[in-house]
Amino acid sequence: MASIELRSVSKAYDGGVHAVRDIDLSIADGEFMIFLGPSGCGKSTTLRMIAGLETATAGDILIGGERVNDLDPAKRDISIVFQNYALFPHMSVRKNLSFGLRLKGTPRAEIERRIGHVSKMMGIDELLDRRPSQLSGGQRQRVALGRALVREPQAFLLDEPLSNLDAKLRAVMRTELIKLHQRLGTTMVHVTHDQVEAMTMGERICIMKDGEVVQVGAPLEVYTNPADTFVAGFLATPSMNLMPARLEADGDGLAIHLAAGTIAVPEPFRAAYAPYAGQAIIAGMRPEDFHEKPAEAGPFGQLVETTIETVEALGPETILTLSQPGGTAFAARVSAAGTSRAGDKIRLTYDAGKLHLFDPRTTKRIARPLSV
Amino acid sequence: MRIKPATLLRHGILIAFSAAILLPLLWVLRVSLTDKLTAYKIPPEIGHLSFDNFIEVFTRFDFSLWFANSFGIALATTAISLPAATMMAYAAARYRTGGAPLLVTVLASQMLPPIVLVLPLFLLVTTMVPIGGRAAITLAHVAVNLPFMAWMMVSFFEGETKQLEEAARAEGATRWQAFRLITVPVAMPGILAAGLLGFILSWNEFLYALILSTSKSQTLSVGLASMETQAGVNIAPLAAATLLGLAPVLILLPFLQKYLIKGLSLGALK
Repeated sequence: MASIELRSVSKAYDGGVHAVRDIDLSIADGEFMIFLGPSGCGKSTTLRMIAGLETATAGDILIGGERVNDLDPAKRDISIVFQNYALFPHMSVRKNLSFGLRLKGTPRAEIERRIGHVSKMMGIDELLDRRPSQLSGGQRQRVALGRALVREPQAFLLDEPLSNLDAKLRAVMRTELIKLHQRLGTTMVHVTHDQVEAMTMGERICIMKDGEVVQVGAPLEVYTNPADTFVAGFLATPSMNLMPARLEADGDGLAIHLAAGTIAVPEPFRAAYAPYAGQAIIAGMRPEDFHEKPAEAGPFGQLVETTIETVEALGPETILTLSQPGGTAFAARVSAAGTSRAGDKIRLTYDAGKLHLFDPRTTKRIARPLSV
Repeated sequence: MRIKPATLLRHGILIAFSAAILLPLLWVLRVSLTDKLTAYKIPPEIGHLSFDNFIEVFTRFDFSLWFANSFGIALATTAISLPAATMMAYAAARYRTGGAPLLVTVLASQMLPPIVLVLPLFLLVTTMVPIGGRAAITLAHVAVNLPFMAWMMVSFFEGETKQLEEAARAEGATRWQAFRLITVPVAMPGILAAGLLGFILSWNEFLYALILSTSKSQTLSVGLASMETQAGVNIAPLAAATLLGLAPVLILLPFLQKYLIKGLSLGALK
């Protein structure tokens, strides 16, 4: 097992295009780290640089404290699982699993022991003599993971390994990967563009955009305190409502003027937001912070009256799209019990204690006391 | 059942093309089984059928030698050019060796009329091996076939095999091990198709074999041509020899087709 450290790592292509720019990140020994971002953000490139399949054009990559920039992938002692599994089609499952061990010259008895152990753990012990073409998607995925496990590497690198699976299987494999990590305690780096995977699997999430790291933190920490509008809009579905607004002085306090109405800034935030009074800001309001019962909204609850545009009943909950005259519509997540229909007027209470403000020029979050 | 005019037209065209290809072959078959006198008769006569011509090919002419020469040269050409072409194609696909210009040049060399290359090839080959031997012809065939085979194989090494190779390297394989243990076996259908095509090209080649051979090293194609003499054409034995010469190609073609399709669908395997 080993820690992974990236120091000012960049990857530029010949044309001067940066796939990854100046990344600093340290992944602790045994940590489950998620690289999250839209396609083309450089997350896979970063993973491939750790694996040694791409060379970094600047910076240092350390695995277990040792600089590995110039080390062949074969010598880095890491395993990588690819999106399309990359099983060797001309070999049986058994041969696929033992490939790395055979190259290392591991004694046959030891290979057999490890294959027996891993194939049981992954539930593929019945498939050992089959070819990859005779396996279903889920089975291939297990074999690919098994091939990574059997070598007992220092770290696992997972490059969108779940995205070729159907939704149900993906949920199953997600849980299995979490369990696997708990059992093995090996460092894992998992690349995904699926924010549900990121929120549920990782101990920490590293959110990337345009080849740069935007924010690193525990899932809930990133969720509750997004560093900028990109992170705010990327995590959770439906994502945070980001609405252009103005921050104005209102007697002793501050008020946010939205197209739909005004929200008073809770007292604990006033000092932090005061310098922005009189300026345009972006108000970030999560759909789940709108409540039907005022009591649920906490001490800073504020009434919002609006009209329902659409109703999406998901079963356990309902997503409402609410109109905002003169502004963009916004979403609210309410309990399923409601009988709301499109066109109805609705009164919701917004928990202003969860309000975020962003600077429209930098898109960065305006710092405020973390909890109220 | 009524047949649609479009279907009729399509089949009509296909039948016409099939006939254009098959008729000469059937003609040769007929001639090979008749004697000299009936061979030229129009309308064609079947007359008395016999295998005398096939026997004559072996007794009056050096057919065995020609066949052996052709087979040996085609085999040696393939054995030399296939591994080299495989590696060249791999280098072009994986490392962009030479870039697009190299591949275009390789393709362009195939577009030259073969006669243009006769003199330079003659000079080059004769500096390396004794003129008139089988080695000289083999060398010329390697020079012509290798670039073509490499060009054909480049696409087999792109796509899927690249990722498999990366997986192998992450599993601890060196570049060479990944190439040998993963890429080559996975691309094998494509490589075999290129090999078969190389064999057939060498088997059928006439011009360089004619220029570089002596009576001892004559290949089948040159030998067949020598059956047309100033004293007349031995049309019936020539037809028999032609058919015998076609045999290996006819045997190899179904395999070529199978491997070629497998090779072309390489990218489709998951």
